[in-house]
Amino acid sequence: MTSDSPNLDSNSAPDPETISSLADAEVNNSPAWEAYPNPILPEAELNSVLLYLQTDSPSDPTDANPMELGLPKQRVDHPLQVQMKTEEGKLLLILPTESQQPASELSWSEIWQQMKQRLNASDRLRRPQTQVHLVAQDRLLDSRQMQEIADALGEFQLELKCVVTSRRQTAIAAVTLGYSVKQLQPQPSLNSESKAIPLADTLYLAMTVRSGVEIRHPGTVIIVGDINPGGMVVADGDILVWGRLRGIAHAGAKGNRECQIMALQMEPTQLRIADAVARAPEKSPLQFTPEVAHITAQGIRIAKANDFSRSQSSKIVKIQESEIS
Amino acid sequence: MNRIIVVTSGKGGVGKTTVSANLGMALAKIGRQVALVDADFGLRNLDLLLGLENRIVYTALEVLSRECRLEQALVKDKRQPNLVLLPAAQNRTKDSVTPDQMKLLVNALGQKYQYVVIDSPAGIEMGFKNAITPAKEALIVTTPEISAVRDADRVVGLIEAQGIKRIHLIINRIRPEMVRANDMMSVQDVQELLAIPLIGVIPDDERVIVSTNRGEPLVLAETPSLAALAFENIARRLEGETIEFLDLNSPQDNIFSRLRKLFRTKIV
Repeated sequence: MTSDSPNLDSNSAPDPETISSLADAEVNNSPAWEAYPNPILPEAELNSVLLYLQTDSPSDPTDANPMELGLPKQRVDHPLQVQMKTEEGKLLLILPTESQQPASELSWSEIWQQMKQRLNASDRLRRPQTQVHLVAQDRLLDSRQMQEIADALGEFQLELKCVVTSRRQTAIAAVTLGYSVKQLQPQPSLNSESKAIPLADTLYLAMTVRSGVEIRHPGTVIIVGDINPGGMVVADGDILVWGRLRGIAHAGAKGNRECQIMALQMEPTQLRIADAVARAPEKSPLQFTPEVAHITAQGIRIAKANDFSRSQSSKIVKIQESEIS
Repeated sequence: MNRIIVVTSGKGGVGKTTVSANLGMALAKIGRQVALVDADFGLRNLDLLLGLENRIVYTALEVLSRECRLEQALVKDKRQPNLVLLPAAQNRTKDSVTPDQMKLLVNALGQKYQYVVIDSPAGIEMGFKNAITPAKEALIVTTPEISAVRDADRVVGLIEAQGIKRIHLIINRIRPEMVRANDMMSVQDVQELLAIPLIGVIPDDERVIVSTNRGEPLVLAETPSLAALAFENIARRLEGETIEFLDLNSPQDNIFSRLRKLFRTKIV
């Protein structure tokens, strides 16, 4: 299979590879992941897809401020999702900026659903009466929407205290509802993704990722529950599934090939790490053990969690030995 | 405390309407006041299954446009006085009603009836939103097929996002002999994937088709059937009773002997 097919940047077509035999020789006797040589697409078809994607992707993704153009430009990469972050004893609820997700009634309902999902899925771990700062950024919120957010937070015994915004209308809506307001200066330079941004806090979700649900997070994601077929998790860091992984998991989505996908029961529709893609063998194994997917020179490989951690630690030992000698 | 239950599935043709009709009848039979609401505007079927098509004068749409009172639109069933049907309009589409209007209608019915059962249309568009918005609990109907289960999974996610906490699963049209031969997903397989509590398993039964065509819900039929029994059990489980699930896996003998056995064990 083409391990050296055209080199593309991370948001264009991933390089398909397949899970074949286990990477580590010592676990080759496992019946779980047999040799599986078939690629996902025939070579010719793959190349035409790559060509199409190349022509379709914008020549320079960093230019063009959509606000100035009047017409929002069709974005190629996917919008950011709602994020939650703890900072100095308060909870920050960060909404995507309007350049990250253009404002419309539809995007509001999407944001609304994401927020509910996040709140539901980590409810157990939060302390009641935590103060929440809503970081609305440049997003326009009317008082009805803000009230909805406050009510939703109230259901989880969280208290909306402060709204951080760069929009005058949002600030006015917040003041009329009695929340304190922090004005943000509009920061157009924030969008230029030139400097390296550290990964966001780990997202911990105790939920079933059902069909049609897509979790995107610029950091590591932990799912306590299953990822069902049709569900998808995209993380810039690792993905750890304490449950069955039956949907699609994409680790290291920004291109980090060191990222791993771990699951108690690995039956994915598809695995992606950075720009590599793999799918599971047709026949699912009879017995499941916790497994780890990682990138090797041959593409994505899966190892039993036990053996994987052992081989990783033996690598470390070897490195240390070589350093000593 | 009235109960507002939406019956939904995502995929079409898995038996939402059949479940709604039979469950409504079964609840009415045990003495509850039941209102069935057809939320499938433009493609209504519930009236056909209940055999009430020729009694419809007004529909939900006329109520909303204030051309008639709500009571006038409700179709009563002669065979079962505890049950009424609020029919959907057939000459409109699903966009002609808003979730708020549905809420208004259903809440008005909830004042008077102990159970309001909403028959949702297939899909996850406007009609579906209309159907789930007023509901306080949901029954997910699925058949043991991957396409139906996948859609059910999606719908469960949407219903959870809506804030409905009580969600139960009904697996319809199961064929025990096929499950035994490993040709069909088992109840466990479906349940494992969807991870919501099971409230009923309904065996595949040809008589369902007959009863649909006659407009006579199976629950009302003179001759007992396993499917009708399954519906009655669901009704009683909704009431809070704990009832063992039907043993569909018993060796393939006559349905009637199985039923007789079942009744006998109940009496003893």
